[in-house]
Amino acid sequence: MASKVSRAVLELETEKAGHSNELLIGLYTMLQKCRMCDEKARILFRQSKFGGNFYSGAGQEATEVGAAISLRKDDWIAPSHRDWTSNIIKGAPLKFCYAQLFARATSPDRGRSSPAHMGYPELNVITPASSIAGQLAVGTGVAFGLKRLKKDSVVVAFFGDGATSIGGFHEALNFAGVHKLPIIYVCQNNYWAESVPLRLQTALEKLSDRAKAYGFPGYSIDGNDILAVYDAAVKAIARARAGEGPTMLECRTYRWYGHSEIDPAKYRSKEEVEAWKTRCPVANFEKSLMQKKILTDAKKKQIVTEITREIDEAVEFAEKSPFPDASEIGNFVWAD
Amino acid sequence: MSRTITYIDAITEALDQEMERDDRVFIMGEDIGPSGGVFKATAGLWEKYGEDRVLDTPLAENNIIASALGAAMVGLRPVPEIQFADFITPAMDTIVQQAAKIHYRSNGAFKVPITVRICCGGSSGSGLYHSQENAAWFTHEPGLKVVMPATAYDAKGLLLAAIRDPNPVLYFEHKKLYRSIKGDVPDDDYIVPLGKAAIRREGRDMTILTYGSMMHLSMEAAEQMAKNGVEAEVIDLRTLNPLDKDTILTSVRKTSKCLIVHEDKRTMGIGAELAAIVGEEAFDDLDGPIMRITGPDIPAMPFSPPLEKAWQVNTEKILAGMEKLAAY
Repeated sequence: MASKVSRAVLELETEKAGHSNELLIGLYTMLQKCRMCDEKARILFRQSKFGGNFYSGAGQEATEVGAAISLRKDDWIAPSHRDWTSNIIKGAPLKFCYAQLFARATSPDRGRSSPAHMGYPELNVITPASSIAGQLAVGTGVAFGLKRLKKDSVVVAFFGDGATSIGGFHEALNFAGVHKLPIIYVCQNNYWAESVPLRLQTALEKLSDRAKAYGFPGYSIDGNDILAVYDAAVKAIARARAGEGPTMLECRTYRWYGHSEIDPAKYRSKEEVEAWKTRCPVANFEKSLMQKKILTDAKKKQIVTEITREIDEAVEFAEKSPFPDASEIGNFVWAD
Repeated sequence: MSRTITYIDAITEALDQEMERDDRVFIMGEDIGPSGGVFKATAGLWEKYGEDRVLDTPLAENNIIASALGAAMVGLRPVPEIQFADFITPAMDTIVQQAAKIHYRSNGAFKVPITVRICCGGSSGSGLYHSQENAAWFTHEPGLKVVMPATAYDAKGLLLAAIRDPNPVLYFEHKKLYRSIKGDVPDDDYIVPLGKAAIRREGRDMTILTYGSMMHLSMEAAEQMAKNGVEAEVIDLRTLNPLDKDTILTSVRKTSKCLIVHEDKRTMGIGAELAAIVGEEAFDDLDGPIMRITGPDIPAMPFSPPLEKAWQVNTEKILAGMEKLAAY
């Protein structure tokens, strides 16, 4: 059973004041876009429109949007297998993202990586591998390089609770602490590493406590509260940019579906899933904006209609795109 | 100007000159700073370039490679060191899954020009965990270049070529050669191109394919066999991936016999691939079996002297192989 999360776990004083309406609508729009893109991808996968597997991030959108939406173009993202929508947040055109799911020649990597391994080099989103915590190792290295080059760009690395158990996590965070690297470690603690519950992964109450061992701050926050994540990330990014070093944010959240689309996730109780669905990061934020009259039904309809149109166009583009030619298989084994 | 210097001094000189020439180049690893490295390969560099460019790292091989790799992705030219090839296993994930594949998986968008210096090979009393070669683990991975110099000249020229190459290069340096081998090394800038073997001795009767410290033993054996009228051609592979197939096959087609000599273990080793290439592409030219003189299929070099000696390839073992092959 997942432990109970409430605002009481918050260690970080977030500043609720000072969010402009424009920012709030921007956050809402991006949350909605990530959710709609993800749900659309699930449907397409189940319709066998693309192969491999799909790792839905539905339910975890606030962690990605809150952490990544304020990044600059020259900042970097090191995504995990569940973070394909972080490409969208960074600004990757939807049509290329769907082309990647569809393994088409129009995708950024011309069909090399499976749907779970989406990157967008032009916008500094690192193409990930499957190795657990591998993106932390590489992302930490990028932060090391940025610091050496005296640039003020930062790296946001996403990972699940599962990635905190492996040695590479320790090596990366330890090194980042030693050199005060410009990186923000965003742990999307969804309480399940594939089918392994958190209680069998760690004896810690708070995963953010791990940061103490590396000499930098760690905070446990409500990962379904977009403003909590956003405020914490803005502070962490500013800290990294100022050369003060890394921050770990444990964002407590939940993936609504299985580890992947072929996982019925029977290891979780219905009650647990339903309880978390009532804490939907999109719906709850929408409700709060409606209550404050910042969002109206008409505005919501306009946003949803626009996203739907964009998704439809992107899917059409992907479906109509050619597959890569078999003759391309040997390209870029070697750099020259 | 050329001088006679040791293999290890050639390595140090290459690092020094390349760091001076290119400020993107920096070195990092365990004990490489004020201590100058376990074998002193980086001696004096910390004093000259400071901690910024000669960085002692935590004892964490995966992170040594990963931090270098990430730095390379943003335009730097890191030269990380793995203190002993025996200790490279924690870094396998980053080397194999990231360094070897990120250029391919990003369709050429990301480049990782890192040169990993790896001290390898057996010496006296080095024992199970300070004697391994392990180059064959990596020659199996397209995307990784693998080199091993046998001479002081190549130690410098291959290292400079490796650092300037846009690919990840694993540069295996043999600890036994560090101070046992001297050679003429130009003090100015030059490279030994990656992917090119060297013919160390010309001969008409058989080809010996070898590299690293085994090149020197093979040369000794070849000289002794010449007294019996058998002239062996000794090919020093220098680069283990990609292999210089042209030089290998041209030689075997000339001599019609092929003996492979390497220090590392036998089964699925580099010799197996060399034999397969020769078998597939020069079958009609062969007048005898493709033979191998290699380390045994025993986990690693044991510590006790008689056991160590039994493990190691030596000139006598090579000579025995040559005699057997010459009889065909």
